[in-house]
Amino acid sequence: MIPLQTLRASLSRRCIAPITIRTYASQTPDKPMLEVFNRKVKHLQKDRAARNVEESRKTDYLKDEVARRLAERLLDIKRDLPHVLDLGANSCNIARALTSPDLDSSMPEGTITPPLSKKISKLTCVETSRALLHRDENEPFNQDLDIQRDIIPDLETLPYAPNSFDAVLSSLSIHWINDLPALLEQVNTILKPDAPFIAAMFGGDTLYELRGSLQLADMERRGGVSPHVSPLADVKDVGSLLTRAGFKMLTVDVEDIVVEFPDTFALMQDLQAMGEGNAIMNRDSAPLSRDVLLANEAIYRALHMEEGDRGIPATFRLIYMIGWKEGEGQPQPLKRGSGDVNLKDILGGGDFERP
Amino acid sequence: MPGKTRPVEKIAKATAQCSAEVAAYGKCVMTDYNSVHKDMCAKEFLRLKNCYLVSDEQGKNECCTVH
Repeated sequence: MIPLQTLRASLSRRCIAPITIRTYASQTPDKPMLEVFNRKVKHLQKDRAARNVEESRKTDYLKDEVARRLAERLLDIKRDLPHVLDLGANSCNIARALTSPDLDSSMPEGTITPPLSKKISKLTCVETSRALLHRDENEPFNQDLDIQRDIIPDLETLPYAPNSFDAVLSSLSIHWINDLPALLEQVNTILKPDAPFIAAMFGGDTLYELRGSLQLADMERRGGVSPHVSPLADVKDVGSLLTRAGFKMLTVDVEDIVVEFPDTFALMQDLQAMGEGNAIMNRDSAPLSRDVLLANEAIYRALHMEEGDRGIPATFRLIYMIGWKEGEGQPQPLKRGSGDVNLKDILGGGDFERP
Repeated sequence: MPGKTRPVEKIAKATAQCSAEVAAYGKCVMTDYNSVHKDMCAKEFLRLKNCYLVSDEQGKNECCTVH
């Protein structure tokens, strides 16, 4: 090693012109992209979770329930859907829901409605984790539907040709997407004209109890906070996201599912077994310390447990969205102010008597 | 997996024995949860942790006398 001083001296002696270094501010050519979630971490979490088949199946209750509720929304579409894509399929929970009979709860009891898979000739399930996607490939429901399983390195770039699907479904996956606007645009492109995109994702207030109590536990034990629960999209943003991606005739609705757990440890274990652990960039790579876990258990109970309850509640907020790709002959919304029937006359209500 | 308990399960089991201490610490944080600061409830936490350590130790002994 030459000391810096002598190097500089020898350089200035040898060179006549002084060395100047100029730096330029440069702009990256692409759109600026914000990375919120660490995709590699998410991939590992899903893979690890699915490799423990027994635990992974046991904690499928939420994904199966949401897949069923999503599939129910398909009942309203009275047409055949030859080729459907399941975007971020997890363990093909949607396929399981589509092949189960009697999905239609509005029908009188006793009537047997055929499973939705009768309307679908082929379902392509796409997922990043091989272990998760192929977990249930030998289960009986695979015989009732032609399922193709595709593994891609990254859900944010879809390898499908434009105008190739009659519907795109997605259940509990796109809340891990970094660039949601770009993904929705791609979905719009791969859909055939006048074809629907139906999705369910976790939204804003999901796990607000855990988020809050972990923050308090962190504050009291360590004197600062670090994010332990990943951020989620808000309901009010979803509509504008879909519009921006070019979808028409939007429907967005919200539903809360509250699950009771014996304690916070069971809740966190289940989240891990679902592959739904925190995957935010720059997260604390060390696991939560035992002290914070203990403190969190106490604070969660104090804040959220109702008197007399055996367990603690955990809220999962689901955002369901339906958007249609623009197509010919599609019904158009009427112009604003062109209505000539008062909704109050049809639906009633509007005024109520004072007791 | 039989014979293999995950660390978090052990914590859960030991904590379940300390409901009084859990409640006391939770109540302490609740009294002023808008301005929580480090070691605000250090005393209550110490009691909780002591109880936890004792019941964790007991859990270990139980496991080893059975086998």
